[in-house]
Amino acid sequence: MNADPIGVLTGSHYLDGDHSCSEGAIAAGCRFSAGYPITPSTEVVERLASRFPRVGGRFQQFEDELAASIAVLGAVWGGAKAVTVTSGPGFSLMMEHIGLAAITECPVVYINVQRGGPSTGLPTQPAQGDMMQARFGSHGDYRLIALCPNSPQECFDLTLRAFNLAEEYRVPVVVMLDEVVGHMTEKVVIPPADQIEVTPRRYTSKKPGDFKLFEAAEGSLVPEMVKAGDGYRVHVTGLTHDERGYPAMNVVAQDKMVKRQFAKIVENADKIITFEEKNLLGAEAVVVSFGITSRIAEKGMQLAREKGAKVGSFRLITAWPFPEKQIIELSKKVKAFVVPELNMGQMSLEVERLAAGRCRTIPVLHAGGTVHNPEVIAEAILEAVR
Amino acid sequence: MSTTNGTTAAAALPTYTKKDFESGVDPRWCPGCGDFSIINQVQKLLPSIGVARENIVFISGIGCSSRFPYYMNNYGMHTLHGRAPSFASGLKLSRPELQLWVVTGDGDALAIGGNHFIHTMRRNLDIKMLMFNNRIYGLTKGQVSPTSELGKKTKTTPYGSADYPFNPPALALGAGATFVARSVDLEGAHMGVVLKSAAEHRGSTFVEIYQNCPVFNDGAYTFLTEKAVKAEAQLRMEEGKPLLFGKDNRKGIRFNSQSAELEVVTLGEKGAVEKDVLVHNPRRDDPTIAFMLANLSNRPGFPTPIGIFRAVKLPTCDDLNWKVINSAKAKHGDVSLRKFLSSADTWTVE
Ligand SMILES: Cc1ncc(C[n+]2csc(CCOP(=O)(O)OP(=O)(O)O)c2C)c(N)n1
Ligand code: SF4
Ligand SMILES: [Mg+2]
Repeated sequence: MNADPIGVLTGSHYLDGDHSCSEGAIAAGCRFSAGYPITPSTEVVERLASRFPRVGGRFQQFEDELAASIAVLGAVWGGAKAVTVTSGPGFSLMMEHIGLAAITECPVVYINVQRGGPSTGLPTQPAQGDMMQARFGSHGDYRLIALCPNSPQECFDLTLRAFNLAEEYRVPVVVMLDEVVGHMTEKVVIPPADQIEVTPRRYTSKKPGDFKLFEAAEGSLVPEMVKAGDGYRVHVTGLTHDERGYPAMNVVAQDKMVKRQFAKIVENADKIITFEEKNLLGAEAVVVSFGITSRIAEKGMQLAREKGAKVGSFRLITAWPFPEKQIIELSKKVKAFVVPELNMGQMSLEVERLAAGRCRTIPVLHAGGTVHNPEVIAEAILEAVR
Repeated sequence: MSTTNGTTAAAALPTYTKKDFESGVDPRWCPGCGDFSIINQVQKLLPSIGVARENIVFISGIGCSSRFPYYMNNYGMHTLHGRAPSFASGLKLSRPELQLWVVTGDGDALAIGGNHFIHTMRRNLDIKMLMFNNRIYGLTKGQVSPTSELGKKTKTTPYGSADYPFNPPALALGAGATFVARSVDLEGAHMGVVLKSAAEHRGSTFVEIYQNCPVFNDGAYTFLTEKAVKAEAQLRMEEGKPLLFGKDNRKGIRFNSQSAELEVVTLGEKGAVEKDVLVHNPRRDDPTIAFMLANLSNRPGFPTPIGIFRAVKLPTCDDLNWKVINSAKAKHGDVSLRKFLSSADTWTVE
């Protein structure tokens, strides 16, 4: 289905990453947002608050991130596409409801503009320290999708895609920006509405009585939905539940529910995962990077090439699920991975795990607050090919 | 998206019976739990309120009380501990035409959910909250709650609680709720009347229901419900009627204009006559008298008020919002829209 033209700001604009996320959300059909102000993410909801009324949407500022992150779930079960937006301290509070979204298979989008941590940390400066929290932050076993844009253009593209993926797989999707990507202003091209593909919510055509809210059709892992007011009696609970949604607290129900929810992501990983490869042919070292760090790494690679290094690039666009197959294949061909990130070692652990000793993994770590010096990345590349 | 501005065409409603609102799942509450009588009253009420069953949503948090939606034959949401008001707010803001009931407990609403509670009340969203107050944590088997009395011995206060409790209606009034009431599980007829008024109110609606937990806090309300003491202990507030109580309604509540306090008078004693007694008016814009009445609860020498403390009409949060949205939408198609879209930190690249 194409985007509703009412919300699409077709044209070429200079936008910052935060505002570009807002436009991506509106283009995707998002018409509800709840939030609580926090730097450096507030611009996203400020723009939504200003833009929404004209397109029939609604932003509400709540008392805290606990409220905002569950209010969006309420809106989704009422039929809206919804987003909440935050940064580190708020992201910690939202973990509870990411878990609820996962267990109730609620299609919803969370945007986290990462800043330095832990705790209040560096409110106005960048980091990439929440990558593992995005994956594992809520208790219990679940899988979600996380995307990491590296430009305002990608903020638009990936926020739009986040909504589409959420509907496709009935999962929470997290868009992981960092302060620099959120606040940098660049050209953003927004296509005409009839060239924007939007995934509508898949509502059931089954009759009340025949329909089960957590039963996927033959050959599918993703159940259809209904919304309040459509005449269905449904029960949605954060407890382990059966296909009807009724609490079923036993080993069999738990096994079935958790495993299907995992399978939705694991079995569709090839369709979900996107990445960008450059100069891999003949490369002896590969820089694995994401978000703002991938932009800095470009410069690092250029410097290293000037000194003769054969280096290629693998940029993560989906962080979760992780491109396991691709990293395993590359590990058979290269001497080393170089993994720069604005944290003390998160995605590099994943790379190292998958490389499994077939090649070296050289993390280039940074506690955050600014971006890497490209020369440090260049040095690591030169060491990798030595 | 199917958001409308709150008015669905009044299609002919089917004739419902109480059974239509029963899910058929056997409640897992303990025998004798006050929750049974509450669900019974709610299921009795719903056929008569003129709302299509599919437009009624029950949303709960976590606790014995929060199992409620499971037993109702509606769209039901069993959310997380303390968070039901926020979930409900999101749903209400996006779908104003739905009738939302939040079912919660004293711990759920006032401890972990206290912040959400006050903010939901102040916003005057059209959400009806029923708080089952058993003055204990039931589901986790008997710990102190924010409504447990001072000195209360529970599993986590084995020497007696040193915390002063909340007075829930006073809290709701302070937070700006536009409808505040109290009833008692054992007073079925009274509860029915209160619930009907709650159903009719548009705006933030708070009903505290005193609920006995026979397992972990048995007899919490015998001071109010025992036949022998009932007449003296209950102050039944009825709109337009003097606040009389006691055997043969011999006592009343008077506003003492010297001390600016409420006091108990006995008719015929010390010159007190019925016309001195405060006439109940829950529709005063100023909540001060309602607050004074709420504060009579558990005060030595005073009866405990039950009934409606406050019921005032104010535009709801969703009324105000849809007004903004509709007027903004009406301007869509204006040439100025393009300009508006491109204003504020957007530059078009020519
Ligand atoms: C975050 C969180 N903390 C603690 C609990 C455990 N818990 C479940 S119900 C409850 C208290 C319930 O008391 P109340 O709200 O008064 O409801 P009642 O069972 O008395 O009806 C607690 C502490 C939980 N479910 N979630
Ligand atoms: S523990 Fe108390 S409140 Fe909970 S179901 Fe049993 S009697 Fe009712
Ligand atoms: Mg309780």
